[in-house]
Amino acid sequence: MTNSINELDHAQVILVSGSNTTEAHPQVARRIHDSVDRGARLIVVDPRRTDMARLAHIHLQLRPGTDIPLINGMMRVILDEGLIDDLFIEMRTENFFAMRDHLLRVEVEEVAALTGVREGLIRQAARLYAQAQRSVICYCLGVTQHVCGTANVQAYANLAMLTGHVEQEFTGVDPLRGQNNVQGACDMGALPNVYPGYQPVTDAAVRAKFEQAWGTKLPERPGMTLIDMTHGPTVWSERPEAAPEPVRAMYIMGENPMLSDPGIQHVEATLRDLDFLVVSDLFLTETARLADVVFPAASFAEKTGTVTNSERRVQLMHQAIAPVGDAWPDDRIICELAGRLGYAMRYGSPAEIMEEICLLTPLYGGMYHDRLRSSWGLQWPCPDRAHPGTPYLHKYSFTRGRGRFEPSGHVEPADPLNEEYPFLLITGRAYHHYHTGTMSRRCAALTREHDRPWIEIHPEDAARLGVRRGDLLQVRSRRGSCTFFARPTGRVARGQLYCDFHFHEAPVNALTVSCSDPVARCPEFKLCAVNAVPVEQREETGEVM
Amino acid sequence: MHEQFVLKKDHLLPLLRRLAREHRLVAPVRNGYGDTMYTVVTDVDACRLDLERQPQNSLKPFFFPQRERLCSYTVDRQGEEGMAYRFYPDLPEERATVYFGVRSCDMFGVMYCDLVFLQGEHRDIFYQRRREKALFLTLACNRPFTDCFCHNTRTGPALELGFDLQLHDLGDRFYVETGKPGGVSLTAHWSPFFAPAGDDDRQAQFQNVLEARSLFQRQVHVDLAVRLLARHEPEEVFGRLSRRCQDCGGCAFICPTCTCFNIVDQPLDQGRGERLRTWDACTFAGFTRMAGDHNPVDLAAARIKKRFLHKLKHDVAKHGRPSCVGCGRCVGMCFGGVDMASFVALLCEWDGGKEGWR
Amino acid sequence: MRQVMSVCCYCGCGCGLYLLVEDERVVGVAPSRNHPVSRNNLCVKGWHVHEFVHHPDRLSKPLVRRGGELRPASWDEALDRAAEGLAQVKERYGPDAIGVLSSAKCTNEENFLLQKFTRAVLGTNNIDHCARL
Repeated sequence: MTNSINELDHAQVILVSGSNTTEAHPQVARRIHDSVDRGARLIVVDPRRTDMARLAHIHLQLRPGTDIPLINGMMRVILDEGLIDDLFIEMRTENFFAMRDHLLRVEVEEVAALTGVREGLIRQAARLYAQAQRSVICYCLGVTQHVCGTANVQAYANLAMLTGHVEQEFTGVDPLRGQNNVQGACDMGALPNVYPGYQPVTDAAVRAKFEQAWGTKLPERPGMTLIDMTHGPTVWSERPEAAPEPVRAMYIMGENPMLSDPGIQHVEATLRDLDFLVVSDLFLTETARLADVVFPAASFAEKTGTVTNSERRVQLMHQAIAPVGDAWPDDRIICELAGRLGYAMRYGSPAEIMEEICLLTPLYGGMYHDRLRSSWGLQWPCPDRAHPGTPYLHKYSFTRGRGRFEPSGHVEPADPLNEEYPFLLITGRAYHHYHTGTMSRRCAALTREHDRPWIEIHPEDAARLGVRRGDLLQVRSRRGSCTFFARPTGRVARGQLYCDFHFHEAPVNALTVSCSDPVARCPEFKLCAVNAVPVEQREETGEVM
Repeated sequence: MHEQFVLKKDHLLPLLRRLAREHRLVAPVRNGYGDTMYTVVTDVDACRLDLERQPQNSLKPFFFPQRERLCSYTVDRQGEEGMAYRFYPDLPEERATVYFGVRSCDMFGVMYCDLVFLQGEHRDIFYQRRREKALFLTLACNRPFTDCFCHNTRTGPALELGFDLQLHDLGDRFYVETGKPGGVSLTAHWSPFFAPAGDDDRQAQFQNVLEARSLFQRQVHVDLAVRLLARHEPEEVFGRLSRRCQDCGGCAFICPTCTCFNIVDQPLDQGRGERLRTWDACTFAGFTRMAGDHNPVDLAAARIKKRFLHKLKHDVAKHGRPSCVGCGRCVGMCFGGVDMASFVALLCEWDGGKEGWR
Repeated sequence: MRQVMSVCCYCGCGCGLYLLVEDERVVGVAPSRNHPVSRNNLCVKGWHVHEFVHHPDRLSKPLVRRGGELRPASWDEALDRAAEGLAQVKERYGPDAIGVLSSAKCTNEENFLLQKFTRAVLGTNNIDHCARL
């Protein structure tokens, strides 16, 4: 997030896109509720009628995958009505004229037809967002998990820059991060193209710095992304010549790609074909079952270390108990492995690891454990010990200097609907569970509240198919099939289905496409074409045929 | 017969240090993060006792933990009459504990839990074990905290019963009243610390309590709500509240008098397992869902209604008083405003509009 | 009962919470009144964050595949086997034949170490995690 969560309290207009905030980010939803209570206006962009959408003053219930035309339409209205922030555009951005020319070719009526949102609502939302002093955009995976994810995000950034809603408190563009340290894992360079603090591996000076610190030669070429690794060459089927050599061995720390990744048939094939697989996890996950070596890892309660939340706040977790059984914290496992491979890694404590991070990572330069102890953490950038941290970003300039407008047009989803696959399936998270459920499904209370894979279907569609609540519904895509329990609800629009991916019994990623955004490699989880058939049950026995 | 003493503030730490030698000591402590909680004190001199602020937890977790093992069991699958279970109870240790600085509302919370766990036909041995050797040194409140309304529930700011010793802060000294026998013997055993109270001390204490009562900003008309609920159960009020319920269960977990629990059997392997008891909340949909998926209390509004009726109607019928102790913790906890204070306010507003919204 | 400050291990909000520890077991959770994000509140997952910690399914020993099956092993054996397996692949196919997945559920320190391990020890930039999922 460019802002802090607490800043949402004071926004005047909040635009929430592709986020089921009440269920996935309850504390953010709390701020939105508070703001709305105090008179803020809420615009929700979501194909589903979520709780947030119910609370909204304007719900833009768009056809999935049409964010870019929708935002272009809003920007056209803002341009036409003279609501742009000329001074901001002049001082802080570039490429505006290309953007303007692009927008002048956008017709709001056409946008309405394409997105399925009424023209009046688009105009109303555009005015509301542009006219307020302090407007903020929150988005989540509903925006990014598309083939055009990067362009979607850029569209929202264009909107914010066009109206100057970036540089101050209570404004900005805030991605909500889904996992407790997904921000930190990125910050720490667990990415194929950057070292910690987003320092590019291709930059010779940066590489030299790390080579000196670590006393060894480092690879120059950026590595493979997760999808490239777990799908091997399949994702490159259209350009086989560009495909990287497949991986032959993997070390997976605390991830469960066998459930979380798209096209799990490919993932399984890849993992089974590996010469060697090491997994470290709390439980024997679907992925760990395929491993040659499994390390029992310590949970968050059993180790000390920092995690970085969605608002870039680096916080210290304290060890509460000794590791359960013979489990080890992952840092110890890594150090031992490194030693066996002829590279000595010696740290007296996690605090010492952090000292090395501070030394090499300007963003984290002042994040020493002693500063984080008995405090609520520090928000990066925090370059040195004296720095108080940064509650909101881009105060005087963007990371790259001027903010660049990047015009873009509608991108068709990768998996088109047709007569055979007439339903559009959207996936996401549920309130009571988390990711692949390895932790949350081992909690009796959470499991009782949400015990089976539900699929939401519009009541009219349900009636047409003759399914009632609790009936089994077999959902088939071009790639695979899964069986869910039907839950008719007006939360989804006609022709759409929604389910979560927490249940291994109904691994929805057997259905999803592995196509991903060309830049961010974010898979298109939010859209795939499926059909749905009720599973016949024999009345007398209740047996499933 | 209540006795009254004076304990000089200078003598408090020396007394607590001595008590902590023979007892486990639990007291409100302000930690490094600025949060004040009832905490087990291992070193009286190293911790920061905080008698200025309301502890954010109640005493409930000390007697009725969020998760506890009740027993372990074995399964003999080849028994003569099919499967045979054997149970091995796992009783908690009896630890003599002094609870110091307990606020009146929290003392009432413990007394209510006693009703639930100890007064019925079957006593709860797990609760009883933890409760048995407890001494309560309560502290009357000289001023209310932001969210509390114990003057409306008649559970504070000072107590008339329930405590072993009750302390009143008189500036440089505490005015100490003895209550139950534990307090009497404590003052006798540590008599050098306790000087007999004089008339001026009594006068000062009386003034304190009067003044504290006058300082409440928040009026939560619990009595009126009880009377209204005896006549109506306005669905509109529950409906409106339920729209903002986040389904977190926090109100029940933080409440000193919410005692619902769930019991689950957790298999350890083919032949062994353990039986666990965990906190539950009546606002969870799964609380009333039956096998076969039928749920008699399916809608959020119905679940919210169940919670408030339990506190303000059913418990009144059963125990003669509502089971809200006015600590206000749910007010600070629930950002959706699904708390006792908002409920009572909404209910009164509804009635003020002659049984509809004004 | 001890109260240990920690951070919820589920979503990205980063709620501060106290783990309640009795006899070396985590028995409960308490919210923090002053924490800037959670402000006295937790969601249903946060209130139950301790539940999986002592679950009997927790792996308590390293496992090594022998004769096609995963069997309990000592730490030494498991680490040796892992090091050997990675080294063999590196030797035969080069460092870029190894892929590493780090975790959004692990700490910054662990993520830092794993990417250092991948780059400095294994010699490849093939490291990623589930940020996109």
